[in-house]
Amino acid sequence: MNEKNQEEWLDRRLREAVPYIEDDGFTARVLRKLPPAKLRDQSLRSIILIGLTALGSALAYVLSDGGRFVVIEMSRLATIPTLWLFAVALGSGILVMTGGLIASISKTADLQS
Amino acid sequence: MELTDADLVTRVLVDDDQHAFGELVRRHQSSVRGLLRQLARTDIALADDLAQETFLRAYKHIRSFRGEARFSTWLYRIAYNCFREHARRRKEFVGIDEEQLQSEPDPHVVDPGLRHDLMHALSLLPLHERTAVLLCCQNGLSHEEAARVLDIPLGTVKTNVLRGREKLKRTLAAWAN
Repeated sequence: MNEKNQEEWLDRRLREAVPYIEDDGFTARVLRKLPPAKLRDQSLRSIILIGLTALGSALAYVLSDGGRFVVIEMSRLATIPTLWLFAVALGSGILVMTGGLIASISKTADLQS
Repeated sequence: MELTDADLVTRVLVDDDQHAFGELVRRHQSSVRGLLRQLARTDIALADDLAQETFLRAYKHIRSFRGEARFSTWLYRIAYNCFREHARRRKEFVGIDEEQLQSEPDPHVVDPGLRHDLMHALSLLPLHERTAVLLCCQNGLSHEEAARVLDIPLGTVKTNVLRGREKLKRTLAAWAN
């Protein structure tokens, strides 16, 4: 047997020497040991954020004399020209859209890397 | 259509999808456990504990998988590190388990006597040569991939494979002829 054939023979024997190992519950054992999915953490985070926002809003309402400043600002908003109102809405829309785009681009780059 | 390893990794990253990770474990458990069994010289319980540790680490650090190498190569690297850390802690390697060697061979694939001699010859190789031979000749990794797994220079991998192969060929010369 020449050198090349000997190497091929040896490699083949090495591959054959290790048969496929049946799972036999190995995957299930690994999955049981995984930490809880982040989804639960994210849900908890959302609940805390919403709760704190609600609490902050309630506090602001109480401290601002029953939300009197809201009434004043709403009436002020009602008196501004329609064109201005349109500009504010458009500006806010563009701002939110830009933020979303930046977030999605950075997330895509992160996943691709 | 079957999802690729990269698709499954993406699902784990984006949705923390543990079913996707389970599929990755199912796909690679045999090769990772096989490699560790040979590194641990057929101590199956130890090899399976290390394999479990390998997959748990892979899950924890899956963000560091950059997709430059195959997912299996990345797993082998973690498995090898787990084994090395364990060996360092114990400062000894478990001896060859004769009973296991006799119970595992598949008589339809390889002569049990040859398999026994091959496994014994492998177990006699120094760890660095054994690992290089297992990765390149048995698991089909390229020299470059093995160098990445073992974190050693490419030339060293080539030398280790060459030396390991030569020793195996010498030991098994009677079978080859």
